[in-house]
Amino acid sequence: MTQRAECLALEVSLRRGSRPMKKILVVDDEESIRFLYKEELEDEGYVVECAKDGEEAIEKVSVFKPDLISLDIKMPGMDGIEALKRIREKERQLPIVLCSAYGEYKQDLTTWASDAYVVKCADLTAFKSTIRRLLGLA
Amino acid sequence: MPDRIRPYDLLKSIVQLSNTSLPLPVKLDQMLQSISRAFQSSRCLLLGPEKIIPNGFLDRLALEKKPLWVEEGSPFRKENFFSEEEDLLRPPFACFPLYDETSSRGILYLSFPTGYRFSPQQMDLLLLVAEVMERTSRDDDFRQMVQRHEKRVKELSTLWELNKALLTTVNFDRILHLTLTAITIGEGLKFNRAMLFLVNEKDRILKGTMAVGPDNAEEAGKVWASLSQRNGTLSDLITQLDPESHSDLNSAVKGIQIPLEQEQCILSRTVLEGRPFNTQLPQSKEGWLQTRCERGCHLGSEVGCYVGEHLSRDPRIYSFATVPLMGKGRVIGVVLVDNLYNQNLITEEDIHFLSMFANQAGLAIENARLYRNLEEVHQELKETQTFLVHLEKMVALGEMSATIAHEIKNPLTSIGGFARRLDRNFPEESQEKKYSQTIIKEVSRLEKILKDLLSYTRDESLIFKELDLRDVLEESLSMVIEGIRSGGVQLVKEYAEEISLVKGDSVQLKQSFFNLINNASQAMKERGTLFLRVFPFSRNGSPCVRVEVEDTGKGIDPENLHNIFNPFYSTKESSLGLGLPIVHKIITSHRGQIEVDNHPGTGVKFIITLPAFKKGKENCVNSP
Repeated sequence: MTQRAECLALEVSLRRGSRPMKKILVVDDEESIRFLYKEELEDEGYVVECAKDGEEAIEKVSVFKPDLISLDIKMPGMDGIEALKRIREKERQLPIVLCSAYGEYKQDLTTWASDAYVVKCADLTAFKSTIRRLLGLA
Repeated sequence: MPDRIRPYDLLKSIVQLSNTSLPLPVKLDQMLQSISRAFQSSRCLLLGPEKIIPNGFLDRLALEKKPLWVEEGSPFRKENFFSEEEDLLRPPFACFPLYDETSSRGILYLSFPTGYRFSPQQMDLLLLVAEVMERTSRDDDFRQMVQRHEKRVKELSTLWELNKALLTTVNFDRILHLTLTAITIGEGLKFNRAMLFLVNEKDRILKGTMAVGPDNAEEAGKVWASLSQRNGTLSDLITQLDPESHSDLNSAVKGIQIPLEQEQCILSRTVLEGRPFNTQLPQSKEGWLQTRCERGCHLGSEVGCYVGEHLSRDPRIYSFATVPLMGKGRVIGVVLVDNLYNQNLITEEDIHFLSMFANQAGLAIENARLYRNLEEVHQELKETQTFLVHLEKMVALGEMSATIAHEIKNPLTSIGGFARRLDRNFPEESQEKKYSQTIIKEVSRLEKILKDLLSYTRDESLIFKELDLRDVLEESLSMVIEGIRSGGVQLVKEYAEEISLVKGDSVQLKQSFFNLINNASQAMKERGTLFLRVFPFSRNGSPCVRVEVEDTGKGIDPENLHNIFNPFYSTKESSLGLGLPIVHKIITSHRGQIEVDNHPGTGVKFIITLPAFKKGKENCVNSP
């Protein structure tokens, strides 16, 4: 898997020129959402890897070494909040975008130390611009 | 001295007199005249017990129940007399005590010209006559007693009938009306008019509550004529009478309020002293001359202002009586009665009877009042219960909606997201582009509905910051400004230059202003004027900021007005009906107020008032 991803990353980075391609880990329990985010973010020129829950996300962080994580909050098993804490213990600098179906957690943003909070929406403009900002591409 | 006395003639005349229906004093007087004529006495008197000097000679005589006659020259010792008695006890004279088994009724006294000689037959005749006189007065006593008792029995049975009528209901107004009807009805207490005043303990006033009685003499005649045609018992009769639809007297009395502290007013005095007043004539002690009230009315009570001046032909001869209404151990009101139309004298007996009835009526009124309070509390409880049930339903509905909304949100994101992906690949003007655009549009609408639903049902905690409402309003406006500009809607902004800051959640306030502006622009359908105003305001002395959003649309149908803040109530097609409920929820959670100034046909103004933030004082708004 990693091999394929690296190949892809290399390919896109070659296409884009000198700048190395940024890697994004999309964590969401809904397959359709993972699929949508992957397609959309790849179109934006990122290398995208997916995980379906908190455990898988933690595994993939060390292997895939993403530049940014998009983390769904409500998931079966380990949820996004728990995963966020675990990941933060190792990766202090890694930008993490929390995604949720609605704005209920917005106010507690600071306690969880995520870098941004995005409410899920079919229009991904806000999501994409948040990612660009966090990666310093804006 | 008479030559011949005819004992038969005298006895006949005495017995005949005793059988007549003349009043007792007249009877006795005529008897004395007959005796005097027959015996040719110089004086013939009936000395009642009140005329006999205690412990005097005559008093002892009455006590011994022995007749006495003294001729001139008889041995008769004068040392036992009182000097006042000397005139009577000058011989020749005769005394015959009148007595029965228990008491003395005085002495039949005769004095005669000088030289009169008594015969034993004459004395026997006088003894007989004295006995008849004694019996006559005793009979009269009995008759009077029987009459008194008959009257009392009648009163009691009337009272019982009236009481029975009072027991037919616990309705407060009905009890009041029954009470006053009982006082005025001919078979009842027979007064021409009755007015009832109740004590309001809280405000310390006596308040006119109800009045029953004809407004004028003609009406009085009509009412009494129609009443006399009715049959049935008294209790049936008064419970059948309906309250009059309108009466000037009733309206006049209802307008009367007398402070209990106004002690010169007879009504207040009736309450304060807890006793009846019979205000008969101008020269009587309680009359209008002695008791002037501050308002200068003739009767010295505010009632006089209405009853005496306006409703009586001549206030100077107007007489009335007041009795206290006794509740449980206290005076709860006053009944005022008068006989304006037939001018009957109000006697002490009338007052006594009225007081007896007033005591019963007072208890009935007190009970009805307690019952009414109970009913009110019961009604309140019922309303609270209905409200709680409604609230519970809303909470359940809210929880359910939130769950469903959450489940729908993710699929919707995918549908909308992929539709956008497809959309980017379809050429402009193609049929596929139209399809994908439709999907995108409809998904957006669904997402908007879900967002509204969640923001209404979820209790999001607020993030309070100091805000300038002008900025918040501008931000809300920027979200819809495109729509407003493209249509023909005029925008008029009236912002005050100096505005206090407000503590609030900017996102939520922005949302509520947005909802209002959005509604306003939709109501005007692309023509009209939208007014936005922000200005300082003072509510109950504390500084506030007001925001007004006014449109010139159709306004709100008055039928729907009370529902506009209820969730899921919408008159718009394609709306969940949460716009205004959300505004209401947000504003109240900011301890603000929202008011609607509705003008059907010409527009509506929503007025939001939020407490201003005072520096150094954090008590303005706290997180809910």
